[in-house]
Amino acid sequence: MLLGLTLLGLLFVMWLALSVETRTFWTANNMSNLLRQGSMIAILAIGETFAIITGGIDLSVGAIAGFVSMVVALLLTNDLGFASTIFGAVVISLGVGVFIGLFHAFGVVQMGLPPFIMTLATMYSLRGIGLLITNGATISITNNSFTGFSRASFLGFPWTDGTWFEIPMLFWMVIVVAIPAYVLLNHSRWGRYLFAIGSNKEAARLSGVNVGAITYMAYVVSAFCAAIVGILLAMRIGIGNPTQADGWELQAIASSVIGGTSLFGALGTVHGPLIGSFILTTINNGANLLNLNPFWQRIITGLLIIVVVYFDTLRTRKR
Amino acid sequence: MVLEKLDKRFGATHALKAVDLSFEEGEIHAIVGENGAGKSTLIKLLTAVFRRTSGEVYWRGKSVPLASPHESIGLGINAVHQEVVLCPHLTVAANIFLGDEEMRGGLLNHGRMVRDAQKLLDDLGFVLPAEVLLSSLTIGQQQLIATARAERRGAKFLIFDEPTAYLTRQEAAALFKLIRRLKAEGVTIVYISHRLEEVFELCDRVSVLRDGALVATRKVSETNEAELIALMINRTIDQIYHKDVVKIGETILETDKLSGPGFRDVSIRVREGEIVGLYGLIGAGRSEFVQSVFGRHRATSGRIIWQGKDVSIRSERQAMNLGIALSPESRRDQGLCLQLGVGLNINLPIYKRLSLGPLIHHGREGAAADKQIHDVQIKTSSRAALASSLSGGNQQKVVIGKWLNHGAKLFIFDEPTVGVDVGTKAEIYRLLGSLLAAGAGVIMVSSYLPEVYELADTLHVFRAGRLVATHGHKDASQETILTEAIGV
Repeated sequence: MLLGLTLLGLLFVMWLALSVETRTFWTANNMSNLLRQGSMIAILAIGETFAIITGGIDLSVGAIAGFVSMVVALLLTNDLGFASTIFGAVVISLGVGVFIGLFHAFGVVQMGLPPFIMTLATMYSLRGIGLLITNGATISITNNSFTGFSRASFLGFPWTDGTWFEIPMLFWMVIVVAIPAYVLLNHSRWGRYLFAIGSNKEAARLSGVNVGAITYMAYVVSAFCAAIVGILLAMRIGIGNPTQADGWELQAIASSVIGGTSLFGALGTVHGPLIGSFILTTINNGANLLNLNPFWQRIITGLLIIVVVYFDTLRTRKR
Repeated sequence: MVLEKLDKRFGATHALKAVDLSFEEGEIHAIVGENGAGKSTLIKLLTAVFRRTSGEVYWRGKSVPLASPHESIGLGINAVHQEVVLCPHLTVAANIFLGDEEMRGGLLNHGRMVRDAQKLLDDLGFVLPAEVLLSSLTIGQQQLIATARAERRGAKFLIFDEPTAYLTRQEAAALFKLIRRLKAEGVTIVYISHRLEEVFELCDRVSVLRDGALVATRKVSETNEAELIALMINRTIDQIYHKDVVKIGETILETDKLSGPGFRDVSIRVREGEIVGLYGLIGAGRSEFVQSVFGRHRATSGRIIWQGKDVSIRSERQAMNLGIALSPESRRDQGLCLQLGVGLNINLPIYKRLSLGPLIHHGREGAAADKQIHDVQIKTSSRAALASSLSGGNQQKVVIGKWLNHGAKLFIFDEPTVGVDVGTKAEIYRLLGSLLAAGAGVIMVSSYLPEVYELADTLHVFRAGRLVATHGHKDASQETILTEAIGV
């Protein structure tokens, strides 16, 4: 909780500084843009956190998002009856995500592979499979009611400068993902088991926890969130391409870690990665507005990870 | 080396009590005692793994602080442990020179190290090649390499901690030869072993530790095995072994000639209200046996009869569903989620009961944890406090206490009181009593004889994977039982 407030404070300080430094930052337009930009990493980071809490990791979330963007585009641009309706395409794409998650858990639980290796392998293969299917081509989505969702918004309020601020649909999607994720993590016994496994798998097993099933849950949640992001990505850019979302897995992991998730497992929240991802987005957004060389964004992100995790290490060392 | 009033406390535990002891140049000095008597604490103080609480250590007449392992190695104090602590993926030569490599022009001089290592091995009379990987050797051979390594370091004081536990006869003979040779070179040897016959074969003097205190030091030629065993056993029976009379009921579990990895032909029976003690030395097969009953390893032959029915227990979940609970030997590795709250740890086995569907009933969750913390008297600031913040004894109470609400019929406690102080021990025994009163049966695996001796209604003695003797409540002397376990 303390870390959450500190991070929220950090986010507001950054916003305040950027509002003072630039005219364009604190505008209804830019802020709703920032929410849009941050939403996808936020959803990835929430899913990723489930895998990390068990003491594992999911390196494939970016690749899943790219792969699913291709799947949904393929379905929508062909005439396959139900599968080519928006509803059908979304359901099947989410199903693809669940399947990939099950495959990860199969590798980790049944084959005993380290999660790092298992998801590294699918990270490579999924992009390859996608390129094989599309032959390297990009699929343009012509369905306007599908792509329109990413530009749409719902509810709004007057901004400080009198203009109207609209909450983008993409951000609502973050809420739609975060609430069930929060309930699952903090108010269900499966959430308790996730932490127990991350802390001491052996103790959890000897206490009657079905470690295998809970591990399956973690990787399915992670891949499912990545599939949601894949669909949102296809909506936002209007194309399906398996090479999209390159490097997003690292942004998701960074957001999660900045948000207080321990890579050793057993420590993590839903709000942490959420705030963490918007901190990263603010760095990117602010750096653009400040006309900073974009390469600096990566450097700042790297430094921030070191600083935040260092302070967290100090905090846990005292225990 | 002379030890004067050497003392070590871990929190409330008094592990070593003002030990006065002297070791002479070129003697082989055995230290014997029951598990938990303070032998390993003593070694760890001498090798500076731990720092002493009080007392003095004199090395060749000078007081030494023994503050770091580096310092003690510098003095020439080395230990060869029961489990070899070398790098299995490096060659024999690399291991012998590890941390003290021979160099030429800033680079490793591989050729010379292999040659020197080979010469050392040949000198010692080991027929072993220096350039093979350590992992290709047997444990016994690795033990010899570890000794050779200490020899090369110019060890003046060498501690062997149960060196023959994993060795074959021939390997042990080779090791003894080496030890005698070191003695002839004036090296002081401290030899720790459960095997009394080795003490008589090899050693000059023997010291007996009991409950952290030095009981006696004798010349080996002036004592015998019976006297040593008598000295090792604590005769003062404390109030801590409180035992209510509970009516023994129906049979819960029976095994019939059960065999599996590490044990053979074990037949036992556990009834309602009964404590069945399994006593033996470490590695005698007790833990392996209970783990098979708990479904961790499949038994290879024999029968398990659960409440009158033949069952085959294939997994731990199946065992738990039948109504068996196991409290593991190592609480840190197997029993506790240290980074998580005390409440979560206590409730882990019973979350199903604290939930409505998948969702947790937070009121019930908190109440269950608080009740258990109160009943078991766990000293913690709150149920949210991390398990890692508790003392060892309180951690153990969490490990045991979490099963009390579970409603299991058979409880297996593997070394339930290792590393806890006497007060906590008494509380843990009281908890066992309340389980019995509720009609459960208990299997208690213990290396601490007084505890199983006082508490067990039926006491089985294990040796080398077999059940060698069975006793009713206190129907044999502790001497007899220890003798059966050691097999002299």
